[in-house]
Amino acid sequence: MSDDADVTIAPRPDPAPAACGAGTTIGLSDAVVQARGVEREYGQGDALVRALVGVDLDLERGAYTAIMGPSGSGKSTLMHILAGLDRPTAGSVRIDGEEITRLKERALTRLRRDKIGFIFQTFNLLPTLNAAENITLPLTIAGRRIDREWVGQLIETVELGDRLKHKPAELSGGQQQRVAVARALASRPAVLFADEPTGNLDSRTGEEVLGLLRRSCDELGQTIVMVTHDAHAAGHADRIVFLKDGAVAHDCGRLDRDEIYEVVKSLEDVG
Amino acid sequence: MIRVAWRSLRSHKLRTVLTTVAILLGVAMISGTYVLTDQIDRGFREIFTDAYRGTDVTVTRKARFAGQLVGATEGLPQDMVEQVRAVDGVEQVYGYATGMGAVVVRGEVVQTGGAPTLFFSYSPNDLTPPDYVRGRPPEEPGEVAVIQKLATDERLQPGSPITVVTDDGAHEATVCGVFRFAAQSSLGGSILVHTTLSDAQRWFGMAGRISEIDVRAEAGVSAAGLAARIRAALPAYTEVKTGAQAAADQTRALSDAIGTFLRPVLLSFGGIAVFVGAFIIFNAFSMTVAQRRREFALLRALGASRSQVLWSITAEALVMGVLASTAGLFAGLGVAAAVNQVFRSGGFDIPHSGLVLQPRTIVIALVVGVVVTMLSAVAPALRATRVPPVAALQEGAELPRSRLTRLTPALAAVVAVLGALLIAGGMYGGGSTLVRLATTAAGALSVFVAVAIASRSFVGPLAAWLGWPLQKVSPVSGRLARDNSRRNPGRTALTAAALMIGLAVVVFVAVLAQGLKSSFIDSFDRTVRADYIIAGTNYMTIPSDTERRIESVPGVEAVVSLDAQQVEAKDGVTAVVWGIDPVAIGRVWSFDWISGDDAALAELGRRGAVIEEQTAASLGVKRGGIVRVTTVEGRRADLKVLGTYRDPMILNGITVGMAGYDALFPKSQTFMVVAKARPGVDVGATQRAIETAMASVPTAKVRSTDEYKESTVDLVNQLLTLVYGLLALSVVISLFGIVNTLVLAVYERTREIGLLRAIGMSRAQVRATVRYESVITSIIGALMGIVVGVVFAWVVTTRFAGQGIVFSIPGAQLAAFLLLAVVVGVVAAILPARRAARIDILAAIQYE
Repeated sequence: MSDDADVTIAPRPDPAPAACGAGTTIGLSDAVVQARGVEREYGQGDALVRALVGVDLDLERGAYTAIMGPSGSGKSTLMHILAGLDRPTAGSVRIDGEEITRLKERALTRLRRDKIGFIFQTFNLLPTLNAAENITLPLTIAGRRIDREWVGQLIETVELGDRLKHKPAELSGGQQQRVAVARALASRPAVLFADEPTGNLDSRTGEEVLGLLRRSCDELGQTIVMVTHDAHAAGHADRIVFLKDGAVAHDCGRLDRDEIYEVVKSLEDVG
Repeated sequence: MIRVAWRSLRSHKLRTVLTTVAILLGVAMISGTYVLTDQIDRGFREIFTDAYRGTDVTVTRKARFAGQLVGATEGLPQDMVEQVRAVDGVEQVYGYATGMGAVVVRGEVVQTGGAPTLFFSYSPNDLTPPDYVRGRPPEEPGEVAVIQKLATDERLQPGSPITVVTDDGAHEATVCGVFRFAAQSSLGGSILVHTTLSDAQRWFGMAGRISEIDVRAEAGVSAAGLAARIRAALPAYTEVKTGAQAAADQTRALSDAIGTFLRPVLLSFGGIAVFVGAFIIFNAFSMTVAQRRREFALLRALGASRSQVLWSITAEALVMGVLASTAGLFAGLGVAAAVNQVFRSGGFDIPHSGLVLQPRTIVIALVVGVVVTMLSAVAPALRATRVPPVAALQEGAELPRSRLTRLTPALAAVVAVLGALLIAGGMYGGGSTLVRLATTAAGALSVFVAVAIASRSFVGPLAAWLGWPLQKVSPVSGRLARDNSRRNPGRTALTAAALMIGLAVVVFVAVLAQGLKSSFIDSFDRTVRADYIIAGTNYMTIPSDTERRIESVPGVEAVVSLDAQQVEAKDGVTAVVWGIDPVAIGRVWSFDWISGDDAALAELGRRGAVIEEQTAASLGVKRGGIVRVTTVEGRRADLKVLGTYRDPMILNGITVGMAGYDALFPKSQTFMVVAKARPGVDVGATQRAIETAMASVPTAKVRSTDEYKESTVDLVNQLLTLVYGLLALSVVISLFGIVNTLVLAVYERTREIGLLRAIGMSRAQVRATVRYESVITSIIGALMGIVVGVVFAWVVTTRFAGQGIVFSIPGAQLAAFLLLAVVVGVVAAILPARRAARIDILAAIQYE
């Protein structure tokens, strides 16, 4: 883990730490998410915006991956496409082996319901339901039997045993996000997508949520994809994919916070 | 500020349209009523003015009171024509006889949908010049001419056979001509027939008599002066009028009938619709004010005064009110045309002359629409003014609670008590009928408002209770709908209350009708001991010889003719006098005596009477007292009251023996004949024998007592259907209210719906959630409506218990109304549910 940036005078196009490969890592043996040549354009003519220009990416089962990049790098768009919330203009996405870019509305809904978990930055919970009901909501929607043992384990993991009967308005921001994590895990999704999960939290409660995601990965083997611009948050991940101008700029393993800053900074400088 | 209001309305097109429609429909009903009744009014005026154009003076029998059947009086002696001719200044005189009956073509009675079939003797004269489009006026006995519409509808032409049925029986005749009346092919659906004078006199029991004498004055002689001279020359029982006066009087008689019935009835349905609309406007403005909280706070933070905020909302209401009333005014023209069409398809061809849009109609429509809209917006607008400027910076802060919220229970109680007092005052107090009705109506409206205010406190638990089964059926959608409908109880309460109003009136009418039916059947079962009832359709008379025809039918044990005429029984109070055979009646009729007994019947003679209890009460007489009755011709009799009985449905008046009846009335006017089969004979076969005996008089329907009961119940049901049709408008308006509320709720919950969709909720589940919430709301409205309607009906039946309406709940119908409410809920949810299902997930979860 050298720090090349310090000894380089001229800006290098590729100033990544040693743990990073330029471009992308594909062809993993057990990839739960496989993206190939994903492009996404918005608008037409002069107003054409190319949010993604061709992303190839494999995400390994059981891995905790962070997607980083400056504003406008396309990281949110990529996550939305990987999660079946948005459709690419070109390219293909496979979740758990299933090609999803051409799925009908109904099948996409089923995919989100059965294979995918979500944690958003805010507004993760339904205000009329209490914490316990919010956690089991995906199961209820799917009409699945609620696995009491599993849910109990989740509640234990997120340490909310005494708050289960509370409505979201009666919970703190950190507690709300912990409920959201439990909810996202409840249906044992193939992939859990987290979109800036700590963006609205102070550092201490943010840490709780990050620790919780880490434990979900370590203890439950949950595949996690987290979009963030917070270097500290990304530091919890096993792998960090940096996006720039709609393409993968670096694909790194575990980095510490300073290393992440370094990469982020280099990406911004070049831009 | 008007421009700001306009922008706001334009930027919320759907909401504006839905809210505008709510008030528009009510205004349309009101303006349509005025347009329609004005058209009818003018139509009749033109006809009568035209009919009397050539007549300067008319002479008729003076009637003691109005409301008689045509030809009910004995008229004038025929030789009075000569008396009139002798008066100085008379140029021409024309006398004719008239009466009511029916026309039978090809064995079928020609139905008129309630309008009369009128016969006039006619011979060509200069006063009423012939307007024959085919053939010629009748010259020989047995010849008749018919009005053009009848000829067209029944494909009659000169030479066609036709049967005329009058009180005198059935008469074969031949069509000799087709005419128009006052240039009209039809007169309000009435059938007009010209006959010879001798036929008219024979058919209407007017030998040697005529009904009216029309006079033309010599050139230069004033109509009024001539009328005075004729009046002086004739006996006091005649009524002499100028032609203009006669036309005006006939127009007024019809206008009054419209003004005292059709117009107020239609207006009250319009009023209910407007009232429902007011609820919806109030709710719509409350919701938008809550939604635009931050906007108002920003305005205030930028230095806008409270009154400016108030004005911005009031201006919006003003613009909306003006739009809605203007559109409603024009929609009213459509309503008038539609009602005309309905009348016409019912065979009741009301004359109407083009478009009559009086300034009065425009003013009323605009005032009602604008004032109601603005009044409904005042309270929400005042709430908006209390948004503190700092709210612009706060996320998700609640709208400041109305200062009145704390007082809500007290307010509801005060309004409820006020309503109860008004209703009690209206029902038990004094004053004219109109004042009492208005007071009662105001009371009912207060009760609606009170229930609506109070309902916010029980809507939550009620929704939870109603949502429970939905949640069992559908754990997600049901659960969410149940929660959503409780999130904003005030809003759900008001939305439901709008539906409550329409349904409460529907239920009220249904319960009353049920009461009417049960008490009719009850009273009928208690009194009628006959097997057959022979009666005309639409309460028309049947030939006087019906009793005689049936007497001779084998198997018939007893027959009694029930004849009736109107009399004045106290100053300004009319009553019906029924004439019966006091001996035979006991075999077919069992009087439900209150005082006296069957012995009273034997004593009736020429001067005795027994009286139905309601009539006795309204005349203030008891057994042993005297009732002085005056016939339409002015004959008087003092009748001794020998007993009182209960019979609110048939013999509801003064019953006298045939001898007393004949002494009072020159004509019999048979309304009903009741007959009983001999014990042991085949009741069905005997009925067929009676039908055969009556075959030549198809106007008289022969029915078993059960069939008669059924047909009367059917009649009530028909009326009920009409009333339901008129009330449907209110229900439709409240449906718009539900749509409005749901659309807004969906908009407010965009993020929630986006989240749900993101975590796997299907579109169908989203739609179901909206639909269930809608159904919960509509059922709450229906339940409130049913309770309020039943209570109203109970109050009214209790008050009028003596007048033959019992309190009886039509369970199946109430269940049907509940089902209807579910349908309303499902229909109202269609559009909002589609909007909810189409919410773009990405946009919803990203929006900040």
